[in-house]
Amino acid sequence: MTESRPMDEILKALQERAKELNCLYRIDEIVHDVERPIEELLRAVAEALPPGLQYPAHCVARIVLRDLDVRGAGFVETPWKLTAPIVISNRPVGELHIHYTQQMPRADEGPFLKEERKLIDAAADRIARAMQHRELTEVFGRMQIGHPPLDAAPRQDWNIILDLLRRTDQHLYNQVARKMLNHLSWSGIEEAKELLLSIAGPEEAGEPGDENRPTRRSAPKDFEVISAETFQIAATHLSEQDLLNNIQTWIKEDRLNFLVLALESGNTSLPEIANALERYHHTGLDARELSPAMHLGLKVSLIRRLLTDNLEFINTCRPWVEIDDFVDLVGHTILLPKSHGRVGGKGSGLLLARHVLRRSPEHRELLDGVKVPKTWYVPSDGLLQFLAYNNLDDVYNWKYRDLDEIRQEYPHMLQVFKSSRFPAEFVQGLSTALDDLGDRPLIVRSSSLLEDRAGSAFSGKYKSLFLANQGRKSDRLAALLDAIAEVYGSVFGPDPIQYREERGLLEHHEEMGIMIQEVVGVRAGRYFLPAFAGVGFSHNELRWSPRIRRDDGLLRLVPGLGTRAVDRLADDYPILVAPGQPGLRVNVTPEEVYRYSPRKVDVINLETNSFETVDRHTLLKEVGGDLPGLTQLVSLYEHDMLRRPGGLDLRVNEDKLVFTFEGLLTETDFVPRMKAILQVLREAQGMPVDIEFASDGRDLYLLQCRPQSHAADTVPAAIPRDLPPERVLFSADRYVSNGAVPDITHIVYVDPEGYSRLGDLNELRDVSRAVGSLNQILPKRQFILMGPGRWGSRGDVKLGVSVTYSDINNTAVLIEIARKKGNYVPDVSFGTHFFQDLIESGIRYLPLYPDDPGVVFNEPFFRRSENILARLLPDLAHLADTVRVIDVPEVTGGQVLRVLMNADLDAAMGVLAPPGVAMVTSAVLPSPAARSAEDHWRWRLRMAQKVASDLEPARFGVQAFYVFGSTKNASAGPGSDIDVILHFRGTPEQRRDLELWLEGWSLCLAEMNFLRTGYPSEGLLDVHLVTDEDLARQTSYAAKIGAITDAARPLTLGGPAAG
Amino acid sequence: MSTKGFNSFEIAQAQFDKVAALLDLDAGTREFLRWPMREYAFSIPVRMDDGRVKVFRGFRVQHNDARGPSKGGIRFHPQETVDTVRALSMWMTWKCAVVDIPLGGGKGGVICDPHNLSAREQEKICRGWVRQLVRNVGPVQDVPAPDVMTNAQHMLWMLDEFEALQGGRYPGFITGKPVGMGGSLGRTEATGYGVVFTLREALREHGVAVESTRASVQGFGNVSQYAIRLYQQLGGKVICVSSWDQKDQASYSFKRNSGVDMDELAGITDAFGGIDKEKAKKLGYEVLPGDAWIEQPVEILLPCALENQITPETVKKVHAAVKFVAEGANGPTTTEADVVLKDRGIYLIPDFLANAGGVTCSYFEQVQCNMNYYWEKDEVLGKLDSKMTSAFLAVSELARERKLYMRDAAYVIAINRVAQACKDRGWV
Repeated sequence: MTESRPMDEILKALQERAKELNCLYRIDEIVHDVERPIEELLRAVAEALPPGLQYPAHCVARIVLRDLDVRGAGFVETPWKLTAPIVISNRPVGELHIHYTQQMPRADEGPFLKEERKLIDAAADRIARAMQHRELTEVFGRMQIGHPPLDAAPRQDWNIILDLLRRTDQHLYNQVARKMLNHLSWSGIEEAKELLLSIAGPEEAGEPGDENRPTRRSAPKDFEVISAETFQIAATHLSEQDLLNNIQTWIKEDRLNFLVLALESGNTSLPEIANALERYHHTGLDARELSPAMHLGLKVSLIRRLLTDNLEFINTCRPWVEIDDFVDLVGHTILLPKSHGRVGGKGSGLLLARHVLRRSPEHRELLDGVKVPKTWYVPSDGLLQFLAYNNLDDVYNWKYRDLDEIRQEYPHMLQVFKSSRFPAEFVQGLSTALDDLGDRPLIVRSSSLLEDRAGSAFSGKYKSLFLANQGRKSDRLAALLDAIAEVYGSVFGPDPIQYREERGLLEHHEEMGIMIQEVVGVRAGRYFLPAFAGVGFSHNELRWSPRIRRDDGLLRLVPGLGTRAVDRLADDYPILVAPGQPGLRVNVTPEEVYRYSPRKVDVINLETNSFETVDRHTLLKEVGGDLPGLTQLVSLYEHDMLRRPGGLDLRVNEDKLVFTFEGLLTETDFVPRMKAILQVLREAQGMPVDIEFASDGRDLYLLQCRPQSHAADTVPAAIPRDLPPERVLFSADRYVSNGAVPDITHIVYVDPEGYSRLGDLNELRDVSRAVGSLNQILPKRQFILMGPGRWGSRGDVKLGVSVTYSDINNTAVLIEIARKKGNYVPDVSFGTHFFQDLIESGIRYLPLYPDDPGVVFNEPFFRRSENILARLLPDLAHLADTVRVIDVPEVTGGQVLRVLMNADLDAAMGVLAPPGVAMVTSAVLPSPAARSAEDHWRWRLRMAQKVASDLEPARFGVQAFYVFGSTKNASAGPGSDIDVILHFRGTPEQRRDLELWLEGWSLCLAEMNFLRTGYPSEGLLDVHLVTDEDLARQTSYAAKIGAITDAARPLTLGGPAAG
Repeated sequence: MSTKGFNSFEIAQAQFDKVAALLDLDAGTREFLRWPMREYAFSIPVRMDDGRVKVFRGFRVQHNDARGPSKGGIRFHPQETVDTVRALSMWMTWKCAVVDIPLGGGKGGVICDPHNLSAREQEKICRGWVRQLVRNVGPVQDVPAPDVMTNAQHMLWMLDEFEALQGGRYPGFITGKPVGMGGSLGRTEATGYGVVFTLREALREHGVAVESTRASVQGFGNVSQYAIRLYQQLGGKVICVSSWDQKDQASYSFKRNSGVDMDELAGITDAFGGIDKEKAKKLGYEVLPGDAWIEQPVEILLPCALENQITPETVKKVHAAVKFVAEGANGPTTTEADVVLKDRGIYLIPDFLANAGGVTCSYFEQVQCNMNYYWEKDEVLGKLDSKMTSAFLAVSELARERKLYMRDAAYVIAINRVAQACKDRGWV
């Protein structure tokens, strides 16, 4: 078959293959029926064969086996025949014939196709194996049932089997004898040891000899004799049962030799392994009959060859998988010729999870119904074959190009990929997969080998594409190929390459497996969507109540496709549930529930073949009636009450329906089920896990499972020990989440005592106003808010500063201080008043209990450090006793505050540190996505600080150094300048020197930035010198200094200022 | 928190003392009204979802029931104090009196944080609260209602427990129930309509034709939406309205000199009450900063969003054309700004009176429940109109006669009514 053949011919050929396969499956069914008498069985096979050929109507079969001669209906001898020998233990025992009753067009072998040759060879092989299996079973059966192990004639039975072996398979007989001898020696039986020594030869047996010299091979002896002696020794030392069991196991194991060989040899290709597995399957062996070592060995080899070679994963995986699972796996794998690929990380994770859920002894009643969508796999080296086939070899070095260049050329590259072709076997395999998957929508997901390397959660780095998969098969196939090409192309995208580079993974050859998975869901009008979907975490890092423990887990649920649950959303909210405490909801009042409910739904539009986001009410109006179990998913919001809707409401009151999943959470076993799933998976893997799931309204499907990863900004921070006490501002050991917040320059501290002393309602409200204003003035995400009790308190302003989310939305951390009052400690709010807003915008929350033993709370620092409130908000200066704004670098000699939080240790700490020193986190570096958003300005600010601190004021006549613009306002992008103002009061010579000095820095920084981001520039510093005169006249840049709005920010200079 | 700091009960008492002096009340009456008549404090044991028992503290304060059964909300609040509840119960007494409905004042609550409670646990608390108080509350004694962190669902649990213990149906035990379960029609409209009923009377008194006026409104929630609708039905023209944009975390004012169209705006409003800026522009609205509503050249300002909106700073921006302010929100004007409005001769309808449509409708709910006969919406709103109108007329008449600022007049009339009832009963 050549790749230039047009599509319809490929399809025709594929139809032939399907016929042949069906025929072979039919024969398998027949020969595995052990009850059927042999003659009848052969007749059935003879009838089953013709439909597998090209011209079934004119085809007849005949099987000759020993003394039997079975002919299919209408058999006549003709010259147009194909014959295959039936061979048992290397001895021909019969033949299989196929005849055409009339002349047919010429093909590969006479009128027969080469595939038909393979078919009848396979059929003959099947018959032979079935016969051999029957004969052995009969012998064992006779021994075990017909002759119970009575003392009278015990030796006879195993002798029979050995006899049979010796006559039929000399090789196997010797193998068994050899194993028996070893077994006896290991068991410490002297005679056996002696016999073993005699084989080895007398001169070497006695002395240890030189360890580095190879032991000499023994002279060939008569195996026949040794074997006989061995069995004699065995007979005297082992019981009848032991002997029999051992022989039986070894015979079986020997029959699996082919599998061992296939797996252990590095050269065997995937189709060969698949073939070996299929053979294994047809032996009908039960894996439990193998010796434990062999069993485990086979499993480990299979995991290594087919899933991943990650040792940790192999260890976790091996108790949960069975050899038969791999038969199923290769049955759903696109078997590319000469492939040595694997399934890859995502695929392996899902396979493991699926088998854990199937086999875990716990929670059977809950786990039994959990399904995994039908999945096909493209092995990881499919990518390499694709590249080779299209002569795209030059992309191997693509990753070493400049990142900027990659970014620019990536779209073109993607086009090249999408217009490339696939090898014919690839297309064929996918076509088979499509037949199996039918016309349900599909998702094509990447399953990278690098994903299994610990700590590199490539989540979302490579593409996953939804396919509506509608229409004619040729169109669907074309769309599938297109999607695969695009996913392949994403390996060479700038973000994954940058990510790999940062983690030192660039040199790893990236191979990427692909999973083609059925999308879970139902058709509703023109849409296709799951009833609900979401992600689950076995560790809850976002506890919104002290009653929720970390082990209670977390679910993010959304209606429709789970894409909306995976990422943080800026404008929508998933429903959060802690499976261990399902009654404790984030949102309590009906108004809150309504406000923070999912408003948009991701669906597949089957008419336009596209992925879409639709408004919930639009969806409910259009197809609400078709959504399965809708009553479980929504509540009716009416009269300040949330009710479970009645049947009528679903039709009439779409506008008032809110996705709350109330019925699902309270009336079904969904929550206990999710809890069980997360618990069982966590225990099996020995680490926290995160999963993706979906439901079509009837069944629950697991879509993905992997070790719980942390978004870049929620990695547990290392908590330093033995810091000098003056560097620690506070510490906490309760309800801590994960994350590290670097470079805090300002602290807004609402003094709990001062706040409680305020007697006037207006003053209390002024505090809220001050916080709201500071939130606008202070550098975004570089300040923290610390205050008493409950931020956002709505009822009683005494309990906490009454702010709304917009008053605090620029803070990096929200801290609530619970100071002891007499003999009780007041509650904190856990940020409940805007909990979901905090989550979706990545603002950290931390409660402090200063009166707990062993906790640090540096109150003098907060109360005595210089308060710059009056400078920032002159009209609220009267609050200075209560609202304290601390410029951290100013009062600590240039240091910044770092808030380090580690949920694993339940410990957090606020420490003073020099700016810009790399933070140690216990897992990974921030992802490029996070970096592009946050890092550009942080880096620029750090660099500006560095320049300022290196600048000797006396040498250059510099009075002050300010930064403004995008670096100060946290809006700098990868190509932004660093805008600085220098207050200059020196001589013209000094000015020249200064300009030269800054020029050097500017070029240096430009180069550094280029290396970081790929953005070239002529210099990064945009320097504005202002003089006393400028300041007096308030000309343009001078006006920035000390301005009311958007003032330039002073940085600390090195050394003493000039005169 | 320490008693040294801000104490709402002390503030409520001080406010009362000021008015008592104006009214020249006798010492006995003053002493009697400065404190609640009855206070209940009790424990509610609840078996939690995890099997442990937790005990919650519950309160009910009945400040005064001389004019009728006490009326007031039940708060679920983690740091509830008896002083807060006392203050709120006193305010309820005055509020019912100012609109002249035959009810007294009460307030209650439970120290708890519903964020840490499952729905089942909250139900247990509600039922436990009623069990402790069943002899001291009821349609003719004390009528609870929803308040901070409680809602219609809590009211139904409480009602059910009360009825189970009493062995009968007493829908008038509690208000804030959903329509169909003893709730009243017209509640959604009540507060917004109430604001405009009082405004209409104020205009009439001043001989100003509604058709000749323009208004600017802050807020686009329930209150303001219904206020705008009724005001425009009466012939006025709203030219500016501000709304909160959830996504931008900021508010914007939407202005159109030809007048805003409520149906049009409601069609482009999200669930948070935020108006779509782009669509509004297409419809011919000018999109201005959030505080632009206050500086519009209109005759009427309707602050219907938050407290503390008219401040010493913002009051300076109020346009010279403005003659009337009706406070739809609670406490939109700060004390200092109040003085400025007074000095500029702007006619103010205080929150306490202007937004009393809500409590009046609660009273109607109770009335309907007690006779087990429910009115059509028109009937509810018609009765609301006459209640609000006469309440306004009484206050404005007093203000005119005694030359009082409207806010003070409202307090004077309310406290006077309650004092009179106590005297008539021979209590003081």
